[in-house]
Amino acid sequence: MDIVNHLIQGASVAFQPLNLLFCFIGVLMGTLVGVLPGLGPTAAIALLLPVSFHIPPVATIILLAGIYYGAMYGGSTTSILVNMPGEAASVITCLDGYQMAKQGRAGPALGIAAFGSFIAGTLGIVGIIVLAPPMATFALAFGPPEYFSMMLMGIVIIIYMSSGSILKDFMTAVFGLLLGTIGMDTIAGTQRLTFGILELADGVGFVPAVMGLFGISEILINVEQVIATTLVTEKVKNLFPNREDWKESIKPILRGSGLGFLIGVLPGPAPVIATYASYAMEKRLSKTPEKFGSGFIAGVAGPESANNAASSGAMIPLFTLGIPANSVIAVLLGAFMIHGLQPGPMFISKYPDIFWGTIVSMYLGNAMLLVLNLPLIPLWVKVLKVPYPILFPLILIFCLIGVYSLNFSQIEVGLMTAFGVIGYAMRKLKFEMAPLVLALVLGPMMESNLRLSLLLSQGDASVFVTKPISAVFMGMSALLIISAMIPSVRNRRSSFREKLRDDDV
Amino acid sequence: MKRSDLIGGVFFLGVGILFAVYSRTVDIGTMEEPGPGFLPFASGILLAVMAAILVGKAFFTESEKGERYFPKPDSWKRVSMVIAALILYNFLLRPLGFILVTFLFVAFLVRCIFPQTWLRSIVTAALSTAGAQLVFARLLEIQFPKGLLGF
Repeated sequence: MDIVNHLIQGASVAFQPLNLLFCFIGVLMGTLVGVLPGLGPTAAIALLLPVSFHIPPVATIILLAGIYYGAMYGGSTTSILVNMPGEAASVITCLDGYQMAKQGRAGPALGIAAFGSFIAGTLGIVGIIVLAPPMATFALAFGPPEYFSMMLMGIVIIIYMSSGSILKDFMTAVFGLLLGTIGMDTIAGTQRLTFGILELADGVGFVPAVMGLFGISEILINVEQVIATTLVTEKVKNLFPNREDWKESIKPILRGSGLGFLIGVLPGPAPVIATYASYAMEKRLSKTPEKFGSGFIAGVAGPESANNAASSGAMIPLFTLGIPANSVIAVLLGAFMIHGLQPGPMFISKYPDIFWGTIVSMYLGNAMLLVLNLPLIPLWVKVLKVPYPILFPLILIFCLIGVYSLNFSQIEVGLMTAFGVIGYAMRKLKFEMAPLVLALVLGPMMESNLRLSLLLSQGDASVFVTKPISAVFMGMSALLIISAMIPSVRNRRSSFREKLRDDDV
Repeated sequence: MKRSDLIGGVFFLGVGILFAVYSRTVDIGTMEEPGPGFLPFASGILLAVMAAILVGKAFFTESEKGERYFPKPDSWKRVSMVIAALILYNFLLRPLGFILVTFLFVAFLVRCIFPQTWLRSIVTAALSTAGAQLVFARLLEIQFPKGLLGF
């Protein structure tokens, strides 16, 4: 049994004391950023990138992945107790979760969110184990043209999913591509576009760019007005849902897990979309759709499972293709590259300890979250009472020290601030961040694959449509762009956009 | 006229032209053998063209009704104060030293952005500076500029 051997190998990595510790820290921090409104998982992972230079690669990936799925657990707490989403993937949980809390049923709401997330996380990991290796084998047949077309499609899908204006999103994507070209050329080694600044010879540092675009700019948005958190209740009891609750919830949990996982595998802000999709599906399938919105437990169970499953599903394209499905995963991919790891079809066979170790650690992390989270709810309630006016200077100091500690370069600190201002301005002018960060990460790879393709085909650009796999990717990209211009689709996209406004991920 | 798109469009038009012009300083190469300047040049042009379209469209589109840039009238003050503090931190790091500049930074932000009491500001600043010194300078052994205080 191959899988059993792999899992044993993974367990031997995940159970090493250091990795256990980082898994624990990861899920704890993930829950923390999930709980705190105004600090999402993308920003949190970006803030921790400097730390990853000091720890081994496996521990880094375990830590950062823990933050991602941990945040999916934490977000529900704030939605239920404060009626304000802790992060974007928990917006929908406010609808029924907060109503339940008002009726004195905060306990079962929090409980079902945690149990649902655990079940979804478990199923999601099974999904990864089953799907990832064959997907990697399939991708082995890819050459430079296929890679280029696939990355292009990834960016096009992100653009299609995320916003109102295709034009503006393409602009941010190209901007990201341009930023990625600064510094050393990947093929010839020539220095270019350094604008005479010595520090730019190695390129715009990924860490200062991402910390600025996500961390600093998010804080600048948050200081515009006071975020007041008022708790509906401080005493949370009866965390265990009763038999009735389980009967209402078990099917939504299972359906949410399946749906969330599938959405997670596709590019896009998966956890957020998965929650909306799950809620809509449950409402449609329910015999009592009128109960949704009035504190119905299925309205918490489905979406909360879906977002967790989606965060597992999103790991598949990362590990097998090296393609980030959304901005959180893009930052995670950046962490791989910091350690000189290049995810792709060869990754699982080349670094089985990292892949299987991470998978097993995700299961451990989910178990830790379930065991720890419910008893720790009083602690999270206290965290929610830390006023933002005191919190945000501390986050800023953390950013400043983090970037400075990388290379002791004040130019990089300045770059981070500059990216913070650019990111803030872009958010204000309604430009999307996700295409930018995706293009920034993928840019260098896209460039070398584009140039290699043209070298191989001797300058014949038709190579992208004459190779069958590449042609499929190109065709899908074209189809998406054209369909986005059809008026009825455009309207539906912009109404969806209204719902997602100002959410990251 | 849609102001937000106009501002964004003009900014990216500038960025696109800047990159396209600047990438001419290195070899663009040919279609058969693209050089290091190939992608920057092509994407710079592409960005500039798209930005020009956005600017053009912005002239003929109405602004969204009640479009406001800031949720509160004094939002811009707080945002610019935070940006100024970030820039000053970088400039004062060497002359003043890590400990002093960190203390001042936190104290200023707590006291001035969403005004808290002096006591709260100073206690937060002192605790966070001590914490940062302990974790980053002592435990992780990161060398920070010493500056005025000499330690």
